Amino acid sequence: MKMSNKTLNKISSFFVSLKSQPMTVVLFLCASFSIVILFLMLFFVAREGAYAFTKFGPDLLFGMQWDLESNVFGGFPLLFGSLLVTFGALVIAIPIGVSTAIFVSEVLPFHLRDPIKSIIELLASIPSVLYGFIGLLIVVPLMADIFGLPSGQTALTASLVLSLMTIPTIVSVSGEIISAVPKDYKEAALGLGATKWETIKSVVLPIAKSGILASIMLGFGRAIGETIAVSMISGNQAHVASSFLDAVYTIPAFIATHMGEAAVGSLEYSALFGLGLILLIITFIVNTLADVVVKRGVQR
Amino acid sequence: MVICLLAFFWIVATLFTGFGTLNVDLLTTSALKGGYFEMIVGTVYLFLGAAAIAGPIGVFAAIYLVEYAPGGKLTRIIDQAINNLAGVPSIIIGLFGYTLFSRQLGFGISLLSGWLTLALMILPIVIRGSEEAIRIVPTSFKQAALGLGATKWKAISLTTLIAAMPGIVTSVILGIARVAGETAAILFTSSVIITRGLPTSPFEPVMALSFNIYVKIVARGESPENVFGIALILFFIVVAFSLVAIILRIYYRRKQPWLS
Repeated sequence: MKMSNKTLNKISSFFVSLKSQPMTVVLFLCASFSIVILFLMLFFVAREGAYAFTKFGPDLLFGMQWDLESNVFGGFPLLFGSLLVTFGALVIAIPIGVSTAIFVSEVLPFHLRDPIKSIIELLASIPSVLYGFIGLLIVVPLMADIFGLPSGQTALTASLVLSLMTIPTIVSVSGEIISAVPKDYKEAALGLGATKWETIKSVVLPIAKSGILASIMLGFGRAIGETIAVSMISGNQAHVASSFLDAVYTIPAFIATHMGEAAVGSLEYSALFGLGLILLIITFIVNTLADVVVKRGVQR
Repeated sequence: MVICLLAFFWIVATLFTGFGTLNVDLLTTSALKGGYFEMIVGTVYLFLGAAAIAGPIGVFAAIYLVEYAPGGKLTRIIDQAINNLAGVPSIIIGLFGYTLFSRQLGFGISLLSGWLTLALMILPIVIRGSEEAIRIVPTSFKQAALGLGATKWKAISLTTLIAAMPGIVTSVILGIARVAGETAAILFTSSVIITRGLPTSPFEPVMALSFNIYVKIVARGESPENVFGIALILFFIVVAFSLVAIILRIYYRRKQPWLS
C-alpha cells in the first residue's frame, strides 16, 4: 500500500500529540474500546463457529435439517423463522411507528411532547423477558381464541409482541429526524396556502425520508436479534412454517435454548456459534447502512 | 400514538392484576424457602457492578469524542463502532461474554463475567448520553479555566465535567434501566436458577429476576402465573430507574441556566 507523505505526517503528528498529553492517551483508549470489543467479538464468535463452517459451508445456513444424532446442522428453518417473524413485526410496526413519530413531532401541542416521548421511552426500557411474559399471559391465549388454535404460540404472536418492541426505536429515531426539518421550509409551504397535512406530506416527509428509512433499518436490526421474548411466545418448532399461524423457531431463540445442552467444542456448539456469527454480520450490515443513510440524508 | 399509549396502559393494567400474588414477606425470604431475596439482590449486584465498569470508560470516551477528537476518519470509525456495539443483539453479547470472560479468561459462570458482559451493553448508552451532556456545556466555562493557565485536561475535568455531571448520571441510570432486566446476556455468563445464599465473591454465580422468569417458563414449562411476583418486582425496578432518568433529564434541561 502506498501512503502519501501527507497521511504519514498526519498520523505521526497524531501520535506525537498523544505522547505530549498522557491524559489524552487514556481518553483515546477509552474511546477506541468499542472498536476493540467489536473486533474481539467477531474474532471469538468466528473462532468458535469456524469448525461448523468448514464442515458445512453454506449448508449451515441453507440446510433443512438440524439433527443431533446424525451430526447434521442446517439452519434454514431458523433463518426462515427469523425473517418471517421480523417481517411480520415490521409490517405492523412501520405504519404505527412512523405515524406516531409524525404525530408527536408535528401535530401534538408542545407541552404534551415530553410526557408522550417519556411513555414511549418507558416502553423501550421494558426488558424483553417481561414482553415475553406479558405476551404469554395475554396475547397467546387471545390468539388461540381468535383463530381457534390448540396453541396460541405462533409466528403472528411473536410478530405482534415484537412490533411493540420495535415501535419505540422507529418512533424515537424518525421523530428526531422529523423534528430536525428546518422550520423555514414548513412555514414557506404553510404560507403558500398548504394545509398542515399537505405540508407534512410534500415537505416534511420527503426531507425526512432517509431518516425514516434508517429508523426502519434499526428496527429491523433490533427485531431480528430479539431473543428472549420471541423464544417465550413463538412455539419453538424448528420447521419451515407454512403460515403466520404456525409455530416457529428463530436463530437467536434457538441459540438461547440450545447453548446450555451443547457440549463445549462439539459440532453442535460450533454450529450455534456459526448461526450467531451470521446474525452478528446481518446486524452489522444493517446498522452500518442505517448510519450511512442518516449521514447522507443530513449532508443533502 | 394511541396504540402506544394503549399498549403501555394495557401492560401496566395486566401487571397490576397480579398484585395479589405479591407478598411483602417474600421479598426478604431466601429463595431456598420460595422467596425472592437472592434474586433481587443478585439483580442489583449485577447492574451496579456493570455500571461501575461502564461508567468511567463511557464518560472518558465521551470526553474524548467531544473535546479531543480531531474529527477525521478515525473519529468517524469510533463513532460508527459505538453505534454498532449498541446494535449487537444481546444474545451475541452473551455468546461473546461466555467465550471471552467465562472460558478464555477463566472467570467461569460468575458475577464478574456478568458484570463485564452487561458493561458492554451499558457502554454505548453512557457514551451517547454523556456526549450530549458535555456538548451542551458552554465552552466559555472551559475557556475561563484555560485562560487562568489550567491544562486542557484540568480545565475540562474541573469545569465542563462538573457542569455535565447531572446529564452523565442520568445516562448511567438509563443504562442501568436497560440492563436490569437483561436476560440473554447473562444466560450463559453469570446466572443460575438457585444459589445457597448470596455470592460471597465475584467469582461465584448469582441469581437474577430476569433469568428466573425465563428459565422457569421456557426450560421448566411452568405457567406464567407462577412467576407473576418476580415479573412484577422486575417491572418496578426497571420502571423506577427509567422514570428517575427521564424526570432528571427533563428537570435539568429546564434548570440549566446557560441554556435559556
